[in-house]
Amino acid sequence: MSSDSKETAKTPMVYICGECHSENEIRPRDPIRCRECGYRIMYKKRTKRLIVFDAR
Amino acid sequence: MDGPTLRNLTDPKFGKPSKRQNILLQQLGAPHVSSFNYMVNKGLHDAVADIVPVEFSLPNNDRVCLRVEEVSLNCPLVPLGTIGVRNQRIFPSECRQRAATYKGKLGARISWSVNNGHPVYFDKDMGDIPIMIKSNRCHLNFMSPKDLIANGEHEQEWGGYFIIKGHERLVRMLLMTRRNYPIAIKRSGWKTRGALFSDIGLLIRCVQEDQTARTNTLHFVTDGTAKLMFGHNKLLYYAPVVLIMKCLCNYADQYIYKRLVEGYEDDLYYIDCIKNMLRIVHEQHLHSHDECKSYLGKMFRVKFLECPEWKTDAEVTDFILKHCILIHLNSNEDKFNMLVFMTQKLFVFAQDKCKVEGADAVMMQELLLGGHLYLQVVKERLQVWLSNLRLNLLKRARANVGFILDQKEMSNAAKFAGGLEIVMEKFLATGHIYSDTGLGLMQDNGLTIIAENINRMRYMSHFRSVHRGAFFQEMRTTEARQLLPDAWGFICPVHTPDGAPCGLLNHLTMNCIVTDIPDENKRNNIPSVLTELGMLPIKNIQNTEVNVKDCYIAQLDGNVIGYVQDSIVSQLVEGLRLLKIKGEVVPDTMEIVLVPKKKVPGQFPGLFLFTGPARMMRPLNNLVANQIEYIGTFEQLYMDICITPEESYKGVTTHMEIGKTAFLSNLAQLIPMPDCNQSPRNMYQCQMGKQTMGTPCHTWPTQAETKMYRLQTPATPLFRPVHYDDIGLDEFPMGTNAIVAVISYTGYDMEDAMIINKSSYERGFAHGSVYKSEFVQLDHISSYFCRDPTQPTLVDSLDTDGFPYHGKLMKNGDPLYCYYSADQSRFFVVKFKSKEDCYIDNVRLCGNFGTKIKPLACIMFRVPRNPTVGDKFASRAGQKGICSQKWPAEDLPFTETGLVPDIVFNPHGFPSRMTIAMMIEVMAGKSAALHGLVHDASPFKFNEESTAIDYFGRLLEAGGYNYYGTETMYSGIDGREMKAQIFFGIVHYQRLRHMVSDKWQVRSTGPTDMLTRQPLGGRKRGGGVRFGEMERDSLISHGTSFLLQDRLLHCSDRTTAFICTSCKTLLGPITMVKRMADKPNMSETKETCKLCGHGENVVEIQIPYIFKFFVTQLASVNINVKIECQQT
Repeated sequence: MSSDSKETAKTPMVYICGECHSENEIRPRDPIRCRECGYRIMYKKRTKRLIVFDAR
Repeated sequence: MDGPTLRNLTDPKFGKPSKRQNILLQQLGAPHVSSFNYMVNKGLHDAVADIVPVEFSLPNNDRVCLRVEEVSLNCPLVPLGTIGVRNQRIFPSECRQRAATYKGKLGARISWSVNNGHPVYFDKDMGDIPIMIKSNRCHLNFMSPKDLIANGEHEQEWGGYFIIKGHERLVRMLLMTRRNYPIAIKRSGWKTRGALFSDIGLLIRCVQEDQTARTNTLHFVTDGTAKLMFGHNKLLYYAPVVLIMKCLCNYADQYIYKRLVEGYEDDLYYIDCIKNMLRIVHEQHLHSHDECKSYLGKMFRVKFLECPEWKTDAEVTDFILKHCILIHLNSNEDKFNMLVFMTQKLFVFAQDKCKVEGADAVMMQELLLGGHLYLQVVKERLQVWLSNLRLNLLKRARANVGFILDQKEMSNAAKFAGGLEIVMEKFLATGHIYSDTGLGLMQDNGLTIIAENINRMRYMSHFRSVHRGAFFQEMRTTEARQLLPDAWGFICPVHTPDGAPCGLLNHLTMNCIVTDIPDENKRNNIPSVLTELGMLPIKNIQNTEVNVKDCYIAQLDGNVIGYVQDSIVSQLVEGLRLLKIKGEVVPDTMEIVLVPKKKVPGQFPGLFLFTGPARMMRPLNNLVANQIEYIGTFEQLYMDICITPEESYKGVTTHMEIGKTAFLSNLAQLIPMPDCNQSPRNMYQCQMGKQTMGTPCHTWPTQAETKMYRLQTPATPLFRPVHYDDIGLDEFPMGTNAIVAVISYTGYDMEDAMIINKSSYERGFAHGSVYKSEFVQLDHISSYFCRDPTQPTLVDSLDTDGFPYHGKLMKNGDPLYCYYSADQSRFFVVKFKSKEDCYIDNVRLCGNFGTKIKPLACIMFRVPRNPTVGDKFASRAGQKGICSQKWPAEDLPFTETGLVPDIVFNPHGFPSRMTIAMMIEVMAGKSAALHGLVHDASPFKFNEESTAIDYFGRLLEAGGYNYYGTETMYSGIDGREMKAQIFFGIVHYQRLRHMVSDKWQVRSTGPTDMLTRQPLGGRKRGGGVRFGEMERDSLISHGTSFLLQDRLLHCSDRTTAFICTSCKTLLGPITMVKRMADKPNMSETKETCKLCGHGENVVEIQIPYIFKFFVTQLASVNINVKIECQQT
């Protein structure tokens, strides 16, 4: 891909199936469906970002 | 269970789901589920058979007949043809999570025939209609607790509700008039129903096999006749009762007369009336049965459009008799017998020889159940569907020349006739019915409610609540709200809200059951069983020499089946009762009502048997058989019931209560020692228990409710009734145990305020949070969630999918989500708008079936809500208070052992409220904590001889404390010993959901109303609190006129206006815009008066804008307002 921005737009996010708990990569325009079991609810996976709240 | 225990803490099975569900909890959903199951198993079949076939003629004079032959309801399944789905079943938890409706397919088989030829059948998909949870069309039916948990439900799930667009909705149980029993009523409104009508009448609510209900009233007309009311399509019609009798059966007048006066031969007035009524019919030249029938049909056929034009008048009459008059009876002879009985009762009642019964007493009431109402709506919609089909066919037939009805045309017309999917979902979602017939209900609104899950108590109470009907809410009289003695044991006297719905919204007692459809065989046995026991069947009564006057009439579900002689009636009832208890030959839910004959006028005597569904019944101990017997509301009236064995009188008392607390509802049984409280305090606790923050569910990660309250540190109460353990409330705890000092210490705890120890707060006392979820649906099917790649600033707050990451702290104005709109071809960033900071708990994407769906996502927020000043707390004795301070622990008083209270409670709360139970709880809680016990707080355990105070006082003494629960305390400020002994102990405190964060409202300036320019009201809109008339009066009386002007003018709609003092008008002055003479490119303005033509007297004044508006409005109706001005 040519531009950097397009690259990030297509980066898939990992979602967890609400029924079989398998991890699915879902891109923005993909249908929301588990690839393993066809279930229709996908939960966003917990981030690996560092979340620090200022305790001041 | 004997008493509450703490054993579950050390139970080796802790945390493992039990094998079976709790029976007490299953009973909550039972009436709802069983009525729905009846609908699926039998009701739908019966209802379809009762649907009136639609008959009409085509332009070519072909006579078409359309019928619904059969319908079937399926479980919720993934639509056929969806690929890649492993599990075809759809479970309720999925519908909750993605805001869908839990629904199954309704299929119908339609038949049509032309000119009475062979019917042609075809199947039609009527769409998906909502399915009740745990009914036999739900996948959770018969699931073990373990499986339920595996499918995202709770261990004790009891069902009984529907899931509509993600919300749990329940059909409200309404109190209805008892079916198939003519009630003697006086209603002043009846006088207006026609000339000479009196306020006296007999009302019978007839319910037929498929639960269709119609009301008939037999009115007493003051000229000594009786008219029968029947309704059709919400319109009421009246016909002389003798005319109806003559239409029903081809009997000679002499026979009708004989039947009517049977047993009343010495009542001359009555005999006269009957003769007169028979004569009146003849005066209309209606002599024979056939003449009467064709007359009635002729009169009414214009209103009965269901009957096609080729039906004869007599056939129309048959239709009326079948569908409008005493519809619970199938044969015309039965209807005739019933009308005879009703006429007799009416005239006895009209002569004041029997008492008025009234529809407000519980004995004359039964319930409207979810499944039954649902069935009625389905039935009516199917009927509407059939007539839609007729309209479509006629439209096609008129449009096409040479139209021939074949299956292709029929399928095409059926395709456009709609379905039931949308209407059924709408009915449950709004609780509103659009109906031509009215379904025999008094209201068409508020039929369903949301089963809110604020905490376990609230959730449970919804399933046992019964409402009297929206109609009574507007009534000024309190008759319908009164708690009558016959409600004992069926309706809880404690659990009703205060305020507008008081007495109208009630709750069933714990033991009260709602009957289901009886076993058909057992019901059919009853007449023969009665005959065996000595009843004379109605068919043979003419051949016997028994005088009807010495007999009780016997009715089964509103059908006269025979007569029982006075001498054997009590024996017969006893025998029948024993058979009922066994429940092998006759149904055990039968109600045997023997209204005895009395010397003084009482209720109209007779033996009335009821087997129908939807009646309230409760178990009692039958002392004769020494077994449990279920008794109904009507039969309880004539029974002798004791509470304890000591109370029973030999030979008189027949029944005994099962427990002393059986008359209380689910929630009232959870109040600690309600017998020691003043009664309204118990009612308050029932209300406040339902508003407590607690543990509403265990499925937090998969929740999608709009708002849920969670108490972070709940604890089990140390002083609790057994019922608490019986229903496993420890699984869903609410409230915390607080060390309470009853002391007036700080001055900040006046008038129900309370002090919280700041250190306890910091240690987590009453910490809680609110979970909110928000569904986001995009505007277009091709839109999608994605972070805008051109905005690098978004990277900090959103992931590439356009959603924030878990655990992010959201502040007002932060980007919440980002999406690409296919409609407008660009990215949008939606900001988070809230006055409160919160955290992202989770984000879920919701798919759906089909291709044309708009993307849907759900974002769940967690709002921390730890106690702050202004939050509401309450003990379990109706003692509520607002936290007024978080007091530093070091400044609070302490005991000799160094104990510092969590809560300081003002002693002035006790004298006027008289909540002795709370005082007992202080002692009981203290002694329980001291000895490691948990005490039983069930009512009626203690009495005057052995008091609770003595019991707990001695326990305290044994633990080395003061007998009365008081302690010496030292001031936290200066350490001096206090002279007074302080009442000190442990009380279970509830944190109520009313929090200041949801309620605070403040405004200096802000949005105003467009029209009036006055400030808006309402917290959501940023409006202010109304400064009303009474507040105004208060300022006037204080003489604070500047303050008054500030509030009502300057801070409201102050405006400047021009006024012409010579014309005394606000409307005259206009502003002229002129070019400046020296600078032509600039303009100047000048005020002139349009009326006097010059601006000499125009001045600027300050007025409320609304006054200007008012003057303008008056001008529009030609009223001039002259304003006198004075220079000051």
